[in-house]
Amino acid sequence: MAYTFSGGIHVEEFKNTKKCRIEALPPPSSVSISLAQHIGAPAEACVSVGDTVGIGQKIGDLPEGMLGCPVHASVSGRVKSITKKVQSSGAAAECVEIENDFLDTVWQDVRPMEKKLADVTTDEIVSVVREAGIVGMGGAAFPTWAKIKSAIGKVDRIIVNGAECEPFITANHRLMLERPASLINGVKILLKALGVRTAYIAVEDNKPDVIEKLEELVAQSSMISVRVVKTKYPQGDERQLVYALTGREIPAGKLPADVGCVVFNAETCAAIYRAFADGMPCVSRIVTVDGDCVRHPKNLLVPIGTSVRELIEFCGGLTREPSRLINGGPMMGTAQWDTEMPVTKSTSAVLLFSDRFGRKNAASASCIRCGRCIANCPMRLMPMYIAQFSKIGDMKRAEEYGAMSCVECGSCSYNCPGGVEIVQYIRVAKAAIKTERARAAADAAKREDR
Amino acid sequence: MDKQEKNRGASKTMPELLKVAPSPHIKGADTTSALMLDVLIALTPALVWGVFTFGIRALLVTGVSIAACVVWEILAELLMHRRVTVSDLSAAVTGLLLAFNLPVTIPLWMPVVGAFFAIVIVKQLFGGIGKNFVNPALAARVFLFSWASEMGTFPAAGEKISSLAVTLSETDAVAAATPLASLKAGSLPDENLFAMIVGNMSGTIGEVSALLLIAGGVYLLLRRVITWHIPVAYIGTVAALTLVFPRAPGPHLNFMLYEIFAGGLILGSVFMATDYATAPVTPGGKLLYGIGCGGITVLIRYFGSYPEGVSFSILIMNMLVWYLDRATMPRPFGGKLNGKQT
Repeated sequence: MAYTFSGGIHVEEFKNTKKCRIEALPPPSSVSISLAQHIGAPAEACVSVGDTVGIGQKIGDLPEGMLGCPVHASVSGRVKSITKKVQSSGAAAECVEIENDFLDTVWQDVRPMEKKLADVTTDEIVSVVREAGIVGMGGAAFPTWAKIKSAIGKVDRIIVNGAECEPFITANHRLMLERPASLINGVKILLKALGVRTAYIAVEDNKPDVIEKLEELVAQSSMISVRVVKTKYPQGDERQLVYALTGREIPAGKLPADVGCVVFNAETCAAIYRAFADGMPCVSRIVTVDGDCVRHPKNLLVPIGTSVRELIEFCGGLTREPSRLINGGPMMGTAQWDTEMPVTKSTSAVLLFSDRFGRKNAASASCIRCGRCIANCPMRLMPMYIAQFSKIGDMKRAEEYGAMSCVECGSCSYNCPGGVEIVQYIRVAKAAIKTERARAAADAAKREDR
Repeated sequence: MDKQEKNRGASKTMPELLKVAPSPHIKGADTTSALMLDVLIALTPALVWGVFTFGIRALLVTGVSIAACVVWEILAELLMHRRVTVSDLSAAVTGLLLAFNLPVTIPLWMPVVGAFFAIVIVKQLFGGIGKNFVNPALAARVFLFSWASEMGTFPAAGEKISSLAVTLSETDAVAAATPLASLKAGSLPDENLFAMIVGNMSGTIGEVSALLLIAGGVYLLLRRVITWHIPVAYIGTVAALTLVFPRAPGPHLNFMLYEIFAGGLILGSVFMATDYATAPVTPGGKLLYGIGCGGITVLIRYFGSYPEGVSFSILIMNMLVWYLDRATMPRPFGGKLNGKQT
């Protein structure tokens, strides 16, 4: 029996690229690397326009201890510009543009770790992971060093998230199949860093090839085991994953570490291993390129900062006119307005959909109170009520009905027969509640001052 | 470099503008109209039976009722400058259910008036689909009780009415006692139980065949249009109460079975009480709502002056839905009840 959670939905998988081997994208002529592609403070440029940089050279950093992480050059060449650009999220951030000299010069400081894993201390691991600029590569982009640090002494389980429950994306699938050793070695480093004796690699049961391969490789390990989870969306949400594997419910507003678990994405683990084995920081990632408009869907190994236009061209271009370009999965990814968007450390997929694809033909967007959103909500909320309160501006009621617990997985909107964008209404409510809370806190602080 | 040039490598060019929309970017196949179509399908066997037992006029009444609901909805929406939504089929469902609640002998202007009350007053004036707080078809039925004799004249089972006249003459319809009327009088009906279940009895067009209505209910369950909570709680409550407190001395079990299969209980509990817009959305709320419907039905049947209580009980419980949902709010994952989370 596969492990799972209650609620959730079955979505059409569209794992069209599951048999597509990871192909290295030919290096682009230039890359645009954002200094704010992680949660926390943006990094500050430590190179200047005109500098020559090597692959893996640090181009942005911030004071140690601050939440955030360094950023590195993904190609060798000349720094062309350092300017503010609008990011895929809609916010502006400093970007370093590097013109590729196609010499592929690796930066001189990129060297393998000399010590054996047994002799490495936790602090050293945290430092290596930080210096390598590794973030959660499943999409959240939380600095991995900070996650490790906050979990020290608090957790008894490491969970590797290889569920990949979003439709279309097979980047983790291919990684686990083609580079399982990197993944497992990454987990060993994490076990050592946290002094934990148990790690689960969670894989959805729609990837039997991965399960077989990983099970074979961890057969001798007393600490690492493969845990098969049911193919259901959002199985890869960390709250649902932790619950499925351990039965522990993360309290609202808390983190997995508060129930003794820490969750790492599969590709993050492989990146950690690479930082140790080669000394190469996080300068590339695997991206699934798919969607009904893409001629040859592929899994690509892409230098960070490559524009998605290059990816689309490498996949044979378009077969029909797209209306939507999605950064990430179809359930939680963000729609882009421009093909110049650069790939970041958290871009797991680039999807191009035509106008009709995945759309619903609803006569009008009206809640008919069918209750499907309630039955499907993995957080056991009443999405239709929260959405209605949000619509009429009653944010107090929205909060009372648990709006802040919403993980925005979109299960409610996906299955709404009335075609209501339920999760979007909830996002609006969450933003308003956060603003209100901040205002109340500021008011309280002011009163204290008097 | 303009956009066209940038995208030269692609065989189809990128459009000038891409659409930015909130996630999720793909949607499931369920639509309101598909759900409503399922309800229509589920009601069809009982309609066929109604026409078979009561004659071709049953089909005429049903047709008039559905057409009136659809036309009223179009007119109301045009007048209110709303998008016309009849393609979601909810007006057709209301029309069919309204007809199911009428006797075959009804003058044809009455379903038209009832449809006006259901669609214009109860549904559109409150904001359209999903916004009405009582069941439109049932509210219309109760409104039509203003014409008590027209609403209370039922032909005997098997007496087919083929007249298509707008109003029937005295000779066309011979009034017969419904099984519920017999129960009201304190005796078991003349029909045997088998006839009651199959639908060989007097009553409204759609309520008589318990068997076919249950089959429709099973279809809706399998299609996941409804859940079991409301029908089971409703019928279960009526069964329990009438088994423990039969209304006249006699075999308890028989009284219970007649109470369940006589009148509109099956139609009401499977198709009317489960109406999305006017029923709770939480499992607990649905159970409480079903129990409430059952209790009120029995109270009205036993102590009220009408023989039937299904319509009234559902309408009364409709008004408590908001509170039932609130009281049975599920505990959020990782949270505490009623939003009192940390």
